[in-house]
Amino acid sequence: MTGRFCWQGVPIAVAMSIAAATAHAACPPATVDGAVVSKGELVLAYRPVANADKGAKPDRIPMAQHFALEVQLCEKGAASTARLHKADASMPEHKHGMNYRPVITSLGAGHFRVEGMMFHMAGRWELTFEVHAGKETVRLTHDVQVE
Amino acid sequence: MTYRSSRSALRRLGLAAALLALSMSAAGEDAREFTAAELGRIAAHGPWPLPWTPDPGNRVSGNAAAIWLGHQLFFDRRLSANGRVACATCHDPDLGFQDGRATGRGLATGVRNTPGLLNVRHQRWFGWDGGHDNLWSASLRPILDPSEMGGSAQRTASVLRNDKALACHYGQAFGKRPHASDPELLVNVAKAIAAWQETLVSPASPFDRFRDALARQDARATVAYPVAAQRGLRLFLGRGQCATCHAGPMFTNGEFGDTGMPFFVKPNGVDPGRQGGIKRLLANPHNLLGPYNDDVTRNNATGTKFLRPEHRNFGEFKVPTLRNLPVTAPYMHNGSLATLRDVVRHYSELDEDRLHADGERILKPLKLSEEEIDDLVAFLKSLSPTIQMPVLAKPATLSACIADEPNARKPNDRQSR
Repeated sequence: MTGRFCWQGVPIAVAMSIAAATAHAACPPATVDGAVVSKGELVLAYRPVANADKGAKPDRIPMAQHFALEVQLCEKGAASTARLHKADASMPEHKHGMNYRPVITSLGAGHFRVEGMMFHMAGRWELTFEVHAGKETVRLTHDVQVE
Repeated sequence: MTYRSSRSALRRLGLAAALLALSMSAAGEDAREFTAAELGRIAAHGPWPLPWTPDPGNRVSGNAAAIWLGHQLFFDRRLSANGRVACATCHDPDLGFQDGRATGRGLATGVRNTPGLLNVRHQRWFGWDGGHDNLWSASLRPILDPSEMGGSAQRTASVLRNDKALACHYGQAFGKRPHASDPELLVNVAKAIAAWQETLVSPASPFDRFRDALARQDARATVAYPVAAQRGLRLFLGRGQCATCHAGPMFTNGEFGDTGMPFFVKPNGVDPGRQGGIKRLLANPHNLLGPYNDDVTRNNATGTKFLRPEHRNFGEFKVPTLRNLPVTAPYMHNGSLATLRDVVRHYSELDEDRLHADGERILKPLKLSEEEIDDLVAFLKSLSPTIQMPVLAKPATLSACIADEPNARKPNDRQSR
């Protein structure tokens, strides 16, 4: 009952080439099995991981099963102090969100883990990340198609 | 299934569908030519049965002695206040472990339809309102509920301690005789009853055989699936949008929704559904966040830990599995719809004004023709197996207790003691 994961954000290959061109090689992160979204200088990479009781293997987002997200934040050309403040998701066509409230844990060095996610219906979900970068709050979104 | 293997399965299903269409066309049948997208969705409803894994929150899950003990206790009327009501009173094995009534009747008549128990191991939430996050807790509640069995921890412990055979099986299951406190014995009894219920898995249905035949490109085998059911399947996946909630091999996403069913109950009462279920769950010491969860990691408590109560939960009820429906009538949380045709007609004529203002926006009246209703009913019926459930055989490892239980239930004995 797993869903196909349609990435509609910044293509990973493009993101990787941007990384090679910048002075800070770690931004965007060297993600090979996730997605990268950006706004201005801020870059966010995330990848879904299955819930611990299902095995911690990186995977696509499963339908109607709990999963976690590993998130990495960085800023191009600068040492980043960006902090993931909120992560959530909704189905715009259905006018509702998730039945669960995710919790964010900071892992240090721009890494975060978001637990308690579940996409309980097939269709388009809009992932929303709220990031505190300096005095600004930046909102990044990413569409995920779950089937 | 990985994405790659999923695509591979899709290709195989596509080829199988082509072969199916060719075969049926040659046979003069009304061939259903499923699209690649439809084939992918069909594949997602299987395979069946699902792999069985022990419940990490129940240390006797899968334990043969516990299963046998739970089997005995499930039919034992002595656990009830008047000695006349057993779990099986409302969960009749011949009715998919349902009772055929609109609302359950134990010591009193309740306000909700009794849920069937087949395939209950694969559920996330238990009860129409999801007031329990684990099967043993859900099994404990009716024993104590004054309107159902009206029992107590003391009564349950007494039955267990004073019945030599039950005490012996308890010892085999839990590694010690039943000398623990009454509340602890009650929890363990519930865990044994849960272990028995976890074995209730329905055999493959005609739909499962159709789905598997497509997957292995066996066009000849697919022809056995009724054409009306195929048309119903297409409606189910497509215009009906039924699979949005009735997803996966269990034909449910395991969550909750408001589908326009009345939540008023007589006299002058209201059933708050999921909203009340969440409150009960979080206040229950037997939930997975509590001390009785045998999974020390608490990884199995994710659902409860991250629950987000919402205003829209009022009047939401669990999305039920669609397997085994012909034996579990009547339908919906209040048992108000007598037949599958009534259920399909409900969605065909859905009253949008009744739906929760904050609820699901994609629910629309399907406005089905009589023929389309027939097709959807044919499809729903095809989700039931055509063979009987296997009966429980007593494990050989339990022979040490036989001398203690001259009156033990035999596998086909449906009379409660």
